[in-house]
Amino acid sequence: MEKMSRVTTALGGSAISGRTMFCHLDAPANAISVCRDATQVVVAGRNIFKIYGLEEEQFVEKLNLRVGRKPSLNFSCADVMWHQMEENLLATAATNGAVVTWNLGKPSRNKQDQLFTEHKRTVNKVCFHPTEVYMLLSGSQDGYMKCFDLRKKESVSTFSGQSESVRDVQFSMKDYFTFAASFENGNVQLWDIRRPDRYERMFTAHTGPVFCCDWHPDDRGWLATGGRDKMVKVWDMTTNRAKEIYCVQTIASVARVKWRPERKWHLATCSMMVDHNIYVWDVRRPFIPFATFEEHKDVTTGIVWRHQHDPYFLLSGSKDSTLYQHMFKDASRPVDRANPEGLCFGLFGDLAFAAKESLISGDSNRKPYLGGDRRYPIFFFKKPDLTEQFAHVSSALSVFESSLESKRMDWFVKTALLYLLGGKPFAELCDHNAKVAKELNRPQVSTTWTMLRLMFSDPANLSTPGPNNISKLGNLPLMNSFSMKEMGTESRLDRSKGESRQDNIHLEPGNSLINSNNDENEETEGSEGQAEYMFGDAELDDDDLYSMEHEIQAVEEQEYTLPQEAFPLRHEIMDNPSVPEHLQQDKADSPHASGNEAEVMCLTPIESLSLIAISQPLFSPHLPSRFFCPVVREMLSHYAEQGDVQMAVSVLIVLGDRIRKEIDDLTQEHWYMSYIDLLQRFELWNVSNEVIKLSTCSAITCLNQTSTTLHVNCSNCKRPMSNRGWICDRCHQCASVCAVCHHVVKGLFVWCQGCSHGGHLEHVMNWLKSNSHCPAGCGHLCEYT
Amino acid sequence: MFVARSIAADHKDLIHDVSYDFHGRRMATCSSDQSVKVWDKSDNGEWNCTASWKTHSGSVWRVTWAHPEFGQVLASCSFDRTAAVWEEIVGESNDKQRGLSHWIKRTTLVDSRTSVTDVKFAPKHMGLMLTTCSADGVMRVYEAPDVMNLSQWSLQQEISSKLSCSCISWSPSSSRAHAPMIAVGSDDSNTAYSGKVHIYEYIENTRKYAKAENLMTVTDPVHDIAFAPNLGRSFHVLAIATKDVRIFKLIPLRKESAAGSSGPTKLQVQILAQFDNHNSQVWRVSWNISSTLLASSGDDGCVRLWKANYMDNWKCTAILRGDGSPVTGSSSQAAVPSTAGGPQHVLLQASSAGRKKAQLIPG
Repeated sequence: MEKMSRVTTALGGSAISGRTMFCHLDAPANAISVCRDATQVVVAGRNIFKIYGLEEEQFVEKLNLRVGRKPSLNFSCADVMWHQMEENLLATAATNGAVVTWNLGKPSRNKQDQLFTEHKRTVNKVCFHPTEVYMLLSGSQDGYMKCFDLRKKESVSTFSGQSESVRDVQFSMKDYFTFAASFENGNVQLWDIRRPDRYERMFTAHTGPVFCCDWHPDDRGWLATGGRDKMVKVWDMTTNRAKEIYCVQTIASVARVKWRPERKWHLATCSMMVDHNIYVWDVRRPFIPFATFEEHKDVTTGIVWRHQHDPYFLLSGSKDSTLYQHMFKDASRPVDRANPEGLCFGLFGDLAFAAKESLISGDSNRKPYLGGDRRYPIFFFKKPDLTEQFAHVSSALSVFESSLESKRMDWFVKTALLYLLGGKPFAELCDHNAKVAKELNRPQVSTTWTMLRLMFSDPANLSTPGPNNISKLGNLPLMNSFSMKEMGTESRLDRSKGESRQDNIHLEPGNSLINSNNDENEETEGSEGQAEYMFGDAELDDDDLYSMEHEIQAVEEQEYTLPQEAFPLRHEIMDNPSVPEHLQQDKADSPHASGNEAEVMCLTPIESLSLIAISQPLFSPHLPSRFFCPVVREMLSHYAEQGDVQMAVSVLIVLGDRIRKEIDDLTQEHWYMSYIDLLQRFELWNVSNEVIKLSTCSAITCLNQTSTTLHVNCSNCKRPMSNRGWICDRCHQCASVCAVCHHVVKGLFVWCQGCSHGGHLEHVMNWLKSNSHCPAGCGHLCEYT
Repeated sequence: MFVARSIAADHKDLIHDVSYDFHGRRMATCSSDQSVKVWDKSDNGEWNCTASWKTHSGSVWRVTWAHPEFGQVLASCSFDRTAAVWEEIVGESNDKQRGLSHWIKRTTLVDSRTSVTDVKFAPKHMGLMLTTCSADGVMRVYEAPDVMNLSQWSLQQEISSKLSCSCISWSPSSSRAHAPMIAVGSDDSNTAYSGKVHIYEYIENTRKYAKAENLMTVTDPVHDIAFAPNLGRSFHVLAIATKDVRIFKLIPLRKESAAGSSGPTKLQVQILAQFDNHNSQVWRVSWNISSTLLASSGDDGCVRLWKANYMDNWKCTAILRGDGSPVTGSSSQAAVPSTAGGPQHVLLQASSAGRKKAQLIPG
């Protein structure tokens, strides 16, 4: 009672203030201890023993206790403790086994008071009794604990742990006579100070050494222990058997553990290797540190709360030769940086979402973004809220599934399965795919297929009246068709200028670029294979080129404007191809002498009907399909950029050589790879294989060539078959004989992986309908998977 | 419509990450309780926990699946400064009967000196590689030279960026025209350091990754970063979760000559969209498989879905609450559906065909 009142006056008299600060020591520290009124701290180490004053802004060196020209080993301290009752009294544990007390009230420079040299090895720990002024306890590497009365020259009692080295000794806060000792073999012992013969109680707390222990300051009978097994455990010592009530898993061996003053659930730990940080844990949430101090550059050797009733100041000494005062408000909070949510899109459009429950339960406690500030108030005047908030957290996990009828990747799977990519005439493939797309309610894709059919179909296969004639026609009809196209082009250009100029603006840069490319392409290709183009030598003049360029431009615009403008009429195209043909026929018959302007005039009413309706028939039957390649290439790129690589690849395959040379190999390979990857994601192995087979890209086709070798053993002599052929070169018998019909199997051979007998697939299947044993009679219960 | 299916995850602390496997039939969750759980989808759509084990001695920040070609392999990373690679072992029949599977640790990557904040496997075509990034700003690239041996990983490269890293993403492009690319985000809270997203590119000549781009406009802490599935595009799309959701388009500018491959490709960076509708920190972004939809989740506890129309205008198309309840009140104006006309709508549907009736916000 007396003690308590004194402490409160001390705290009330001088409210502690300060900031996060540090000072350089001359040498690595091994331990620190703070005096009762929290104004001075002692730092002890192998080559240092100093007292620093804790001032508002800095540490001030007050006293160097390491005096004399040749300091003895007694100054080499493993531990130090400042008496909490008598402010002039210090005790140190020396690495040579000495226990030394120091009296700061001595007038001489050497403050050494008493020297006990009873331990044979390093003393790991000294501990003053919390209320008894003259009682000092030590624990040593030699396995003994000794209790000293400072009024006497020798120890008053010796406690033998009967086991390995003592790492820590701590007087109980609750029980006057009790102290706890922790050992390197993982045990913790409880002793009664009056009974040195035998420990009161012993239990195994950790696997491996227990480096430290600390009694809860609030008389709870709780003991925290930390060990090399990276755990901090909290034991309830009030029951008959020590009961583990909390266990904190840290990331490195625990060297020190200190309960945080005024916080029932908090304790601070530091590690003796690897990890240089100091952690403050809430034992109720043992997985993640409540706060972290990350200032030290080397192992932290000593931690102490500055005042036994103030939770905001922590002092620490380190092997990096610094002494720090940490302010709790400056601590980093791992929880703040921890992601409270997880989110992932599944393959089928389902969305897995895990979130902290407080986030989704209500938005009343939601905080606006504070731009990098800490999200907790700086001082914890509302401490219960904060601690409550820290403990008791959990996440809710849910999966959002798009409801069945609209499974969002269904279109992809169905399209992949239903598309025909080869094995039929081109036009049929296009028609089929168009139908598939239409059924899946993808009108643009469907229209694209239809257009492709019209553009690339061999004129001979079309049911237009005179395709063959046209191909054999001379220059004049060709010219005619060109002029018609030109008309169409211009009219469309007019329209686009008038109506949808805005739409086109954002496409312009790309378009002009493309155009220049296309021009090059056209010219080079034209010079390569003029014969195919039905151009006479003489006719390849400027006019023609001019009109061609126009054409290209127009068609490109068509590609972009189509989806917006032409949809209402797509059925017309599909169902009623004769209409455009009609139109075209009309055009062809119309006189050309009237000049372009007249043509444009007469086109305008028709234009309102449908652009496609005009353009398709105009182009398709008369023009070499190469003509459309740039457009199609653009279209494929467009699909790819839109994320529909399926369309790009499908068209690529169906068009085959018609388009292949137009697209550079890298891009093609990229599309193929992307599509195959997608197909494999959806486990559409057959489709993926078909795509690989049909691809013309060498890098893709070779995907099917890998790991196709099968090493077999001879079924008779069980030796590896080295050469090709049916006969094993060792036992000179046919190796792959069907176990049912005893003939050599050529083609599909199925065998049991257990007994390696097998044969023709059909035979074995038949056999297994009625039998479960091996047909070879080996008695094995065959399993074919 | 979305149907929310709640799963009793039974993690003892926060779940930090959820991750689907390649085929979308398995799911892994990781938590601060130091464990990872694996969930398998049954035929009737239920998610069953088939494995749960302690993976680390600290919070597990992320979990990620390797391509199934390498086996059933997971990687996790943790506050305990390590990343680990796990493989599922099949064949123990009694486990199978109980519907449980066994995962064993193949390797622990211990190079980091601080918390490992993210781990990601490289795209399959690069072989078995993974990167980690850590809170002290170091990105590490590891490779398993022998794909059959998951316990041997060699550290290929370490890149220090001085800013604490929080997330990492590989560019998924398999094109040979695109050099391998990694984007790293930093959650350093000091907005004075601009450029919280760094993009590294593999340089063939030096066989090292070098910085290709620094997104200077991103100054706030970045919590998640995700490249969109490439699907044959010539450019990259990158989503970033910071104080808002941002979508960037990175267009590689082709080099004139092949000899000029000594430096990283120049990237033209365009911002496609930026949304602060979460009105708070955004924690996660995730793309759907066709990269037409972006999902983001923020401190407001909502998931928002974003979708572009034909003109690359990104709009919010749905808001989902964690418990599946409809969102009401102030946030609804954020979700005005696209007012695009009919034909444009058709284009949208046709190009992405990701038709979706989410729990749409009225209005």
